[in-house]
Amino acid sequence: MEPADLALAEPIMPEPDRPPSKKLSATEWAKENLFYNVASTLITLGFVVIFVALLKNTIRFVFVSGRWEILHVNMTNMLVGVLFPREEITRGWIALFIVAMGVAFMVGSAHQLVAQSDEELGAAVVPQGQQMRSALGRFAPMVLLVVVLLALARQARFGAAALIFGMVAVGWVARTVGMRLPRQRAGLGAAAGGLTVVGGFVFLATGVGWQQWGGLLLTVFLASSAIVLCFPLGLAAALGRRSKLPVVRAFSIIYIELIRGVPLITLLFIGSLTLNFFLPAGLVPSGVTRSVIMITLFSGAYVAEIVRGGLQAVPKGQTEAAQALGLPTLKMLRLIVLPQALRNVIPALVGQFISLFKDTSLVAIIGLRDLLLVTQGFTKQPEFQGTAAAEVLAIAAFIYWVFTFTMSRESQRLERRLGVGTR
Amino acid sequence: MASTYDLTAAALKPGGTGEPMIVVEHVDKFFGDFQALSDINLVVGKQEVVVVLGPSGSGKSTLIRAINRLEEHDAGRILVDGVEMSDDLRNIQEIRRECGMVFQSFNLFPHLTIMDNITLAPRQVRKWPKDKAEAEAMKQLTRVKIPEQANKFPGQLSGGQQQRVAIARSLAMQPKVMLFDEPTSALDPEMVKEVLDAMVELAGTGMTMMVVTHEMGFAKAVADRVVFMADGQIVEVGTPEHFFENPQEDRTKLFLSQIL
Repeated sequence: MEPADLALAEPIMPEPDRPPSKKLSATEWAKENLFYNVASTLITLGFVVIFVALLKNTIRFVFVSGRWEILHVNMTNMLVGVLFPREEITRGWIALFIVAMGVAFMVGSAHQLVAQSDEELGAAVVPQGQQMRSALGRFAPMVLLVVVLLALARQARFGAAALIFGMVAVGWVARTVGMRLPRQRAGLGAAAGGLTVVGGFVFLATGVGWQQWGGLLLTVFLASSAIVLCFPLGLAAALGRRSKLPVVRAFSIIYIELIRGVPLITLLFIGSLTLNFFLPAGLVPSGVTRSVIMITLFSGAYVAEIVRGGLQAVPKGQTEAAQALGLPTLKMLRLIVLPQALRNVIPALVGQFISLFKDTSLVAIIGLRDLLLVTQGFTKQPEFQGTAAAEVLAIAAFIYWVFTFTMSRESQRLERRLGVGTR
Repeated sequence: MASTYDLTAAALKPGGTGEPMIVVEHVDKFFGDFQALSDINLVVGKQEVVVVLGPSGSGKSTLIRAINRLEEHDAGRILVDGVEMSDDLRNIQEIRRECGMVFQSFNLFPHLTIMDNITLAPRQVRKWPKDKAEAEAMKQLTRVKIPEQANKFPGQLSGGQQQRVAIARSLAMQPKVMLFDEPTSALDPEMVKEVLDAMVELAGTGMTMMVVTHEMGFAKAVADRVVFMADGQIVEVGTPEHFFENPQEDRTKLFLSQIL
């Protein structure tokens, strides 16, 4: 062979070695992780005993000895409250559809808003096997909740199941549409989704006044209203705190520090007892309105501090580059700083919203019949007379857990998808 | 040997076409008690390429950042193309529109595509329609030789490509002056050349440039004047031939002996 041929020949790369496989069989894994010495064996056995006992008791409680009749008759009460007129249930379902659509659309648009690469922007347009499986995993608690509720309900099970299935389908479509929005339209999309949610509640309110809402409906309404309203409030306070104008800055600092120093219960009492003094005469908002206002104010202060942290984490070079290009301050905030700041603080924000959801249970103190108070009320009914207290608490706790766990998992997924913390 | 070197004259005589583009007059800058700039006087002419050299802490970055108000000078005057820098926001923004700045750490906007990065300012500040902005963006991207990257995100590009995008982003605003603050200091050596090539091409088209850098080769090849700063003061100013072959001041000679 000519030397020239050798020089031009493609170098033949050897096959890369595969790393040695470390797959262990089940017994090997157990031996290595659970029973590797006497102490660990004892600990493992101890935990197994406790775990089996708990499991046995739980299964017995759920399937055998639990007196679930209390929920069989009170299912509607738990979901919409005792005062909700039964003939308006259809309106309730429609409103729920609208709200689910709005929320799903908002989630999809929010994803497009914070995406930072081609893959992220085009992600999940074609659901692949793995993504569908992870979606099922995330929504398993919700599915479980629906199954539990259907099992406990005694009327219209088939209709309810069909409606829930329809809602999931509508939500899925809405979210996919939201995720196909181009970046520039994503902000509008999120706003449109928010308005749809508001519209859903307004639609319900036109048929059934707020005062008659209760149970899970009231809890979800309080939580979602407060979440939607506290975010712009907190954003404004965070920006106000960094403002150069002394009055704006003073107001923001006073608001944030005052509210953060007071427990939510206190604020709810203030809202229900003394808010009248601060408002013009004749304007007497309902108990629900007052609660929404106070919870919003409370959460807004925490959101403000979270957003402020996010703003500080945006590299200074970003504002310098924007300024060097001649961008005025508001445009710089809107186009450059806030998208980056908000992306940074997604975990903390969702954590705050999860807390908010659980904190809505405090409105029981001022007499609003939210999920917790309503379920407590069941045991006082003459048919049950103080029994089945554990069952009602269990179902209430389970419902809270399903919602917060789903929010938490969705947030984790969003973080993982966006690579937060890895870049 | 009697020195005929006159620092003031050398600093104040603009090169290029001779008309002053950037005028820095008796400028001081303090950070608390520390004086970063003391009595800086310099005139940069239209179409001139001025390279600013100096050890770290000499104030060269502070000076160039003071020109587009990323730092606020405490005394003296700064004028860009006749517009005086003052506290008036309109003046500041007018100057910033006409000065393009390229940073050491690129400072691209990570949540926007390359195309959006480049068209953002022309559309928002100069109010150009989308087509015009995108056409100009592609023109500048082609000029820095990476038109195929237009739809990627900054995180997907190499350092040299990102810096070239940063150059294109500034050029898309059609500025009168380009300011460079150590543009290649954060780059791998293999990527320094591609960025310097872009800057050399830019100088060849007659752009007024003020470049803070450690790349002596660039200074020798392209600079009209070299300004040497140390301890917040301008120590020596001259053509590259004067500066590298016949430096007058001892401080300059010390610096050159350490780096060459």
